[in-house]
Amino acid sequence: MTTGKPHPNYTAIWLWLMGLMGLGVAASFLPGGRTLAVVVVFAVACVKAVLVAANFMHLRFEPALIYALVLIPLLFLVVLAAALLPDFVWHSVSR
Amino acid sequence: MIAHVEIPGLPAGIAPGKVAVWWFLASEIMVFGGLIATYIVFRLGGSGWAEASHHLNVTLATVNTLVLLTSSYTVVQAFVAAERRDARAVRGHLALTILGGFIFLGLKAVEYTTEIRAGFTPGTGIFWSFYYMMTGLHALHVIGGIVVNGAVLATEGVSVRHPHRVELAGLYWHFVDVVWIFLFPLLYLA
Repeated sequence: MTTGKPHPNYTAIWLWLMGLMGLGVAASFLPGGRTLAVVVVFAVACVKAVLVAANFMHLRFEPALIYALVLIPLLFLVVLAAALLPDFVWHSVSR
Repeated sequence: MIAHVEIPGLPAGIAPGKVAVWWFLASEIMVFGGLIATYIVFRLGGSGWAEASHHLNVTLATVNTLVLLTSSYTVVQAFVAAERRDARAVRGHLALTILGGFIFLGLKAVEYTTEIRAGFTPGTGIFWSFYYMMTGLHALHVIGGIVVNGAVLATEGVSVRHPHRVELAGLYWHFVDVVWIFLFPLLYLA
């Protein structure tokens, strides 16, 4: 974002982040199996990260070049995890 | 003022410095992302990780999350103030951001001390190796962010001549915040 462009409502974003932080911590205490708690906790973390990146880091105002700089390494990470996952998980299961 | 340097191939209206910072952050995504991806894969393939993480102090980590998220808010307010050429407000918001960094490091030091005294060192097990590696590397980045924000405070906090520098320093600080947003659930909540 360059000077002169409108700013998001930073205070509202901060309040959302505070609320989501509370929600994430509360979700970690959900009764029953861990699967639901873990899914909610990481979904909340992803929403918080997107809120920070899109608004505080002004990603929503940036051109495609900046998006490419963010998305390409994230794609590499998915490939890395996908390549490693079968080895560790299946190896562990077979022991 | 924004840096009026035209670089062939760059979209109009984007400062070369911003592209450089995002390039740097892209490399940082790989550093932390690689570590986090490895942690997830090891954890899915092993056992006893959740039990080990129960020894961590969730309350202190929650306070630290609040501190970092709030410091992201103050550093973006410093940028808003820089656009207004309000050096006093830039100074105040950057000082608060730096204070947030120090509070975060102080609480992390309390955590480390408690854990090490309880016998949980990097050599205790694979969870603890990852824990100290990931939080230690993140703490180094917090220190780096404090230095960068301090350098911007020493210049733009006196007289605002390059407001985009406040934004660029903020980009790095927000990245450090985003990394913690993922470390917090990975290590403390999951």
